[in-house]
Amino acid sequence: MKRRSAAEIALSLGVLALGAGVAAGTAMLPSEGGYAGIGPNFVPGVVAAGLLLLGGWLTYEAFSGGWRNAPADDPRERGEHPFHAPSFGWISAGLFAHMALIGTGGFVLAGTALFGCVARGFGSTRIVRDAAFGFVLSLAVFVFFVKLLNVGLPAGWLAPLLGVAGI
Amino acid sequence: MEAFDALLAGFGVALRPINLLWGFIGVTLGTFVGVLPGVGPALTVAMLLPLTAKLDPTGALIMFAGIYYGAMFGGSTTTILLNTPGESASIATALEGNKMAKAGRAGPALATSAIGSFVAGTIATVLLTLLAPLVVDLALKFGPAEYFSLMVFAFITVSAVLGSSTVRGLTSLFLGLFLGLIGIDSQTGQARFAFGVPELLDGVDVVVLAVGLFAVGEALYVAAYQSRLTETMEKMSSSIMMTAEDWKRSWPAWLRATAIGFPFGTIPAGGSEIPTFISYATEKKLSKHPEEFGTGAIEGVAGPEAANNAAATGVLVPLLTLGIPTSATAAILLGAFQNYGLQPGPLLFQSQSELVWGLIASLYIGNIILLILNLPLIGIWVKVLTIPKDLLYAGILVFATLGAYSLHQSWVDLLTLYVFGLLGFAMRRWDIPVGPAVIGLILGPLAETQFRRALSISQGDATVFLTQPISATFLAITVTLIVLPWIVRRFRRS
Repeated sequence: MKRRSAAEIALSLGVLALGAGVAAGTAMLPSEGGYAGIGPNFVPGVVAAGLLLLGGWLTYEAFSGGWRNAPADDPRERGEHPFHAPSFGWISAGLFAHMALIGTGGFVLAGTALFGCVARGFGSTRIVRDAAFGFVLSLAVFVFFVKLLNVGLPAGWLAPLLGVAGI
Repeated sequence: MEAFDALLAGFGVALRPINLLWGFIGVTLGTFVGVLPGVGPALTVAMLLPLTAKLDPTGALIMFAGIYYGAMFGGSTTTILLNTPGESASIATALEGNKMAKAGRAGPALATSAIGSFVAGTIATVLLTLLAPLVVDLALKFGPAEYFSLMVFAFITVSAVLGSSTVRGLTSLFLGLFLGLIGIDSQTGQARFAFGVPELLDGVDVVVLAVGLFAVGEALYVAAYQSRLTETMEKMSSSIMMTAEDWKRSWPAWLRATAIGFPFGTIPAGGSEIPTFISYATEKKLSKHPEEFGTGAIEGVAGPEAANNAAATGVLVPLLTLGIPTSATAAILLGAFQNYGLQPGPLLFQSQSELVWGLIASLYIGNIILLILNLPLIGIWVKVLTIPKDLLYAGILVFATLGAYSLHQSWVDLLTLYVFGLLGFAMRRWDIPVGPAVIGLILGPLAETQFRRALSISQGDATVFLTQPISATFLAITVTLIVLPWIVRRFRRS
């Protein structure tokens, strides 16, 4: 008899909740359908029913011995190390820093911050090297996209510098 | 000989210097990302999809096809030298390939997989050339009801039949179908599930979903569970030369694997994982040296690698002739067509004959370039493997965010990207396949359109899907695929 996994139960209930949400959203859609006889609410209704059914099925599996053919709960059995929260945190922090910086500091600085945080999340402690690599890579990408492909990327705080350099 | 003329015209397009250049960029980039652990063709094409706004369709699609193709070649290098199969289709190669590398025979293992990929890829492209016009003729007879039933068939095979769990595959599919509903209904203009957020009216972009699931989710997962592990890489042996014995044992395996892989690719059966394992089992059975299997038998590398490439080419048959993607990468390639307002299918062969045949011709050329890139230049790609993981994933995420941001120049897309990244992390950890979600997002809206069109034509009569013979056949096969394994299991038990 396999254990009950809190995560599996939570995910199963999440699918059920999504199904309920889609059903509620479907109820607000109009149903008139012209020649076809079905309106814009028909397929959403099918998707809602599908999600509710699958959520119920997953919940049943989660309570009756766990999801079938699921990966081992112990990371060591999967050939991995235990969940390393700081790594997860650094990568998330990098993505949020990038989100916050891209509109103000510009693409190059946001990319540098992201690069540094992600490298840190993968265990690097060489902050200066990572920042340098991130800056050079982001700058190269910026020049390539803006100059060669005419994709608009924000220059941000570096605009005066990039302008002087003719970029 | 109409197809032959069309193909010749296609070579005229593919051999234009600018298209040759795009093809070369594509296969080189494809090999590069194929070699890199953690980056696959689906992610690469998705990250580059915003470029469609800037490039001419023929060049861009030739480049994307090259990435798709090149990644298949490059993936074997990583599998053989690192024993970390980048994708499920490489697991079979890893069984023997890494053992050969450990025994100091990495060179011949890499050679047989590169030449095998070339042989299988070329034969499969010939088959694609011959088969495509036939399927197109058949598909011209399809109406909305047939298309809808075919899409249902594809949905079920990619989500319910393959993989470790039917229910988790279907959950992923329905998640994708739901995401596909968000935005404006194409038939009535009704906004659905947009919650008054203007960004959502455009719908969920496949770039954000695919890059979130494949790049951000993967980075979060590898960092959390694998970043503190140490890996051992096998040394490249000095010579890539295969002995006469190696050749004698490899070529029948290549040909058999092509015969296994191509049909599996053409039917919507979710890509190349199954044929690689069938090929591996076949070679093990037929080999004159069965005792070598498990310790590095060359047939065990030659077969699966060739099957992988033949299947990858086979996937292009339903994609180009019917507009049905049967793998996540194919779904994203379909997204690239859609960005140009093109819908792959029989009509595209008529209206955009130059583009389609140029694309097919570019596959022949790409195969030759890839053979050169992967044999004499293999040393370069081995060096790519030594890029440390911290810098590798940092670089991947810089490109991932670039792809998402360049869609609308909006941080909202970056937040959505992170949310899909969390989803991708959970799906990876609890073994929910991500492919069906991507296919559901792309194919779902098309299936809904065909469904409603079919019902409009039949004045709301839902039996139309069962009374049309072709449509009924597709649905019958679908039901059989679901029920058969279940019956077999019951029989075995009793």
